[in-house]
Amino acid sequence: MATLPQLIEDDIERLGEALREFIVSTDATAALVIDKGGFLITHQGDASEFDLTTIAALSSGAFMANQTIAGLVNETNFNSIYQQGENFSLFVINIDDNCMLVVIFKSQTGVGVVKYFAGTAVKRIACQLEIAQERAPGMGLDLSVLNVADASQFFRKNEA
Amino acid sequence: MAIINQATKELQVKIVYYGPAMGGKTTNLVQVHDHVQTNAGNKGKLVSLATSSDRTLFFDFLPIEAMTIKGFKTKFQLYTVPGQVIYNTTRQLVLRGVDGIVFVADSQYEKMPENVEAFQNLMDNLKTLKLDINEIPYVLQYNKRDLPNVAPVEYMDYLLNNRDVQVPSFTGTAHKCEGVFETLNMITRMLLQKYISQNVPQYA
Repeated sequence: MATLPQLIEDDIERLGEALREFIVSTDATAALVIDKGGFLITHQGDASEFDLTTIAALSSGAFMANQTIAGLVNETNFNSIYQQGENFSLFVINIDDNCMLVVIFKSQTGVGVVKYFAGTAVKRIACQLEIAQERAPGMGLDLSVLNVADASQFFRKNEA
Repeated sequence: MAIINQATKELQVKIVYYGPAMGGKTTNLVQVHDHVQTNAGNKGKLVSLATSSDRTLFFDFLPIEAMTIKGFKTKFQLYTVPGQVIYNTTRQLVLRGVDGIVFVADSQYEKMPENVEAFQNLMDNLKTLKLDINEIPYVLQYNKRDLPNVAPVEYMDYLLNNRDVQVPSFTGTAHKCEGVFETLNMITRMLLQKYISQNVPQYA
């Protein structure tokens, strides 16, 4: 299975820049880069009223499910989903093999403008991910700093 | 695959609870959600995408932030899959990006064929995703030990844990929270052990 590249602070900063410019262009409320496994990688915008961890997990699930459905009806050109709401709407678009862009925007904002500027943002994000991939192909992070002996107490049951 | 965010010093890990229908996968998550000791704000909401009869339709999802180890904030995402046979495509979707698996088996004698079928289904689905069961940490939980017609642990080991390398197995009564945390802590330990010994965690 394809894997995400190792991202360093500079990558996250550049992804953040792309998201911030996208938010300014579209007046979106928040924009998230997520992994297709459901993890939140980074986000920008005013997300204080949203549970982004859960939105990332559900968006990934919804996107993959819809992609599978599209495949079942022989649709090969599938790269986004749009959920229209009365208060906030959601647009999810594919970035590359590993990532997706999730946009939360007010419903009065037209989806057309979001789709239009998402194209540019997706290209910039994909480009940065490619740079990261080329910088350190197959590189990992030394996790030996973690002390596995502590793990037996990782999750403790509340006896009360 | 786990995400290690160097910029924010975060480790994100995905654990999937797998097993036959009505085996207690969702109950495990409910018990973790109800009883886990965390600092305020570290436990997310338990999201259940279930039918009106409480059968899991897509998945259950519980994000938890565990202790910080040596500067790494550790975030765990716990998922269950729907056990019913018809939801196999959904199970494949949820397995995407999995780091560790808890296989929850039903200890009742008459459920043994379903346990074996679900385990075989797990291996088939991993193969579809180009993953190998031998390379993914997993543990077994023999649930529903409080029922009168349970099979001996040795028999369940023979059926489900009969590979070259035996994996840890735990007896459990999930609705009483027995065995739930023991299982979760073991898969956590195995996951971290894997990353440390291989030194190949991925990214972000």
